[in-house]
Amino acid sequence: MSAPTPHPNQKPDLEESINVSQVHGRVISEYSATAREKRLASNGHEPVALWVIAACGFVLLIAGGVLGNAGTLFSYEETFREGYVRGAAPGLGDAGPLPKAALAAFSGKGAKIYSKCSGCHGSDAKGDGANYPSLVGSKWVLGDTQKFAMVILNGLQGPTSNGKSYGAGIMPAQGAGMTAEDLAGVMTYIRNNFGNTSGDIVSTEMAQNAIDISGKREKAGQAVNAEEIAAKHMTMLPGAEIDPAMMVNPQTLAPMQ
Amino acid sequence: MSSVTTDHSVEDARLRAGIDRSLRHPVMFFLTSGAAWLAVSIVLGVISSAKVHSPGFLDSCSWLTYGRTQAAHVNALVYGWGFQAAFGVIVWMISRLSRQECKAAGIILTAGHVWNLGVTFGVLGILFGDGTGMPWMEFPAYTWPVLLLSYFAIVIWSFIQFKVRPEGHVYISQWYLMAAMIWFPWVFLTANILLHVMPGNPVMAAGINAWYKSSLIFLFFTPVAIGTAFYLTPKVTGRPIHSYSLAKLGFWSLAIIMPWAGMQKLTGAPIPYFIPYLGATATVLFFIPAFTAAVNILRTAISDVDLVNYSPTLRFTMAGVVGLIVTAVAAVFLNLPNSTLKLTQFSMSGYGFEILALYAFFSFVMFGAIYFIVPRITQREWLSRRLIIMHFFFSVYGIVTVALVAIFGGLQQGIGQEDFTQPWEVAATRAYPYAVAITTSWCLILFSNVFFFLHLTVMWMRLGRRSTHPTLLTSGHGNSPHGEEGDIDTLGSSTASAH
Repeated sequence: MSAPTPHPNQKPDLEESINVSQVHGRVISEYSATAREKRLASNGHEPVALWVIAACGFVLLIAGGVLGNAGTLFSYEETFREGYVRGAAPGLGDAGPLPKAALAAFSGKGAKIYSKCSGCHGSDAKGDGANYPSLVGSKWVLGDTQKFAMVILNGLQGPTSNGKSYGAGIMPAQGAGMTAEDLAGVMTYIRNNFGNTSGDIVSTEMAQNAIDISGKREKAGQAVNAEEIAAKHMTMLPGAEIDPAMMVNPQTLAPMQ
Repeated sequence: MSSVTTDHSVEDARLRAGIDRSLRHPVMFFLTSGAAWLAVSIVLGVISSAKVHSPGFLDSCSWLTYGRTQAAHVNALVYGWGFQAAFGVIVWMISRLSRQECKAAGIILTAGHVWNLGVTFGVLGILFGDGTGMPWMEFPAYTWPVLLLSYFAIVIWSFIQFKVRPEGHVYISQWYLMAAMIWFPWVFLTANILLHVMPGNPVMAAGINAWYKSSLIFLFFTPVAIGTAFYLTPKVTGRPIHSYSLAKLGFWSLAIIMPWAGMQKLTGAPIPYFIPYLGATATVLFFIPAFTAAVNILRTAISDVDLVNYSPTLRFTMAGVVGLIVTAVAAVFLNLPNSTLKLTQFSMSGYGFEILALYAFFSFVMFGAIYFIVPRITQREWLSRRLIIMHFFFSVYGIVTVALVAIFGGLQQGIGQEDFTQPWEVAATRAYPYAVAITTSWCLILFSNVFFFLHLTVMWMRLGRRSTHPTLLTSGHGNSPHGEEGDIDTLGSSTASAH
């Protein structure tokens, strides 16, 4: 860029010696933009119009509504809304949960129920070796399903499948309040996790049959023992088998398309 | 000898001219290099927007992929154009308002070059794949100390000028500009330290990032542009600001509300539940500082509609103030829980809002300021009325299309994404026509800004008209496009230009 136009007297101070009309001429020629500028006037003091206040008040109301969604302010513990349920996809209505493969769905349900078992058998299902037996690789857990169902529903007295008696002596019955879906889920879960790999599914039908068989036992209401299992329950539960890849509803475990 | 008043006005004009002269190098550098970055940013914006609807476009080289060009586009717009325009205006206006010549023009100019170097390395870093992936902070981490240091070297002189200003009234523009100059380093340091120096939980990092983005808009670009409009409007019209109490309300509500905004971007993310809604509330409340300031400025200018029409400065500034109102309404509209808020999370509408704030509001006011400042600094008038008109209309139509189409197209895209049983491609298909519209209108804006940049460059080379009459946007057969030619300068060494 080129240099500004130089002129001989950079800082004229308007003394008597200065030719004012010449200075004015220079102002007009060089500072025309700045010379025609208007001064900033002092501020006006009009009152704030009512409609401006009304518009801002309306937005304040909207903002209050938005803030109403915030739950407890400055509560750093809550990271989600209590009881939130995801809405249905647009156009689908209330179609319920998406289908899942049977093995995953049954195991998912069973995993929640297993939390009752983990108190004794441990979160890794290995027990503690002294008071509570391991479920991993147990002959009663794997293989025929009926003996496992009877132990869960009625509890167990005396030695376990490996002939050893554990410190606890007795496993309490778990059958009270347990639905067929719960039993099917927890059996499938234990038989396919923690290193157990039976690969099959205990269906809801099988579980219902197990509950019926359990109710018709001679000594109903008492824990089973090794002799009774060996004599009566070394068999599969009756009922049709389910393909582990079949799509089912993860909540009801009923087949979906 | 002349009368006292004439002496006074001559002295005034001389003082103003002295201030302008002392600042001509840094201010012209900021404005011109800002305009150049704006053009670069728009080119990158066209490329990245084209990739949304035509993924095969320029897909053969890695540095032109969407992830890099989009980031480079936004960062060049923010740090290349936005900040440099703001620096030029801040430095000039604070000098004018504290009535002092700038004594550190050389240092400011040097710091401006350093800032430019930082932006250049940042944009190249993004294109070479070195970006951080944090929106608006994609520059590689080594650039931020450079930017911060050069920022201080640029504005520290304005702080000093404010400190030693003549006693008396502090004008509204000074509140806004000083506040912006203080808020920016706070926001910038906080975000960069928490994200680059002491990184914590990554979910919260995303929140801090969203807050940074929102704070740059609301606590830097907004006050700079509002302060500028509060200066330009009474300066050009010669009228006092409509209402001082309204201005106070606008300033303090901005200062109190806006730091809370930003984290609504993380609605539904595992951060404390109240934070996103607090952010949404604050963003909705942006309406109050924005609307009060806009009404105040419009009421000051509106009594002379002809002047708004003729004066390039006033026309751009008023368009920017209208853009401020639209931005404020969009802030309300995009943050309603249970309707729009969830649709804005991962769609184009956030981009639309940012462009609305950055271009339709901030940039238009900056253009207005540039049309005011440059003739005073270069002592030349703008060359061509038509170039200014073209710049105005292509920018207005272009930016209205980009912002509104991105906002509403983003909502469509958001509705598509909410349908979680459909593949994401369906949502992308919904956004397709909107993306085409965005590319087209960025092309319009590019067209207008290339001409603006050339016009500004010509002015920078002091090839503007030598005249005592400003370039006004009048047309009609009765008068010359540049006003009456009576006083064309024939004094001194210049040649009379009858252009």
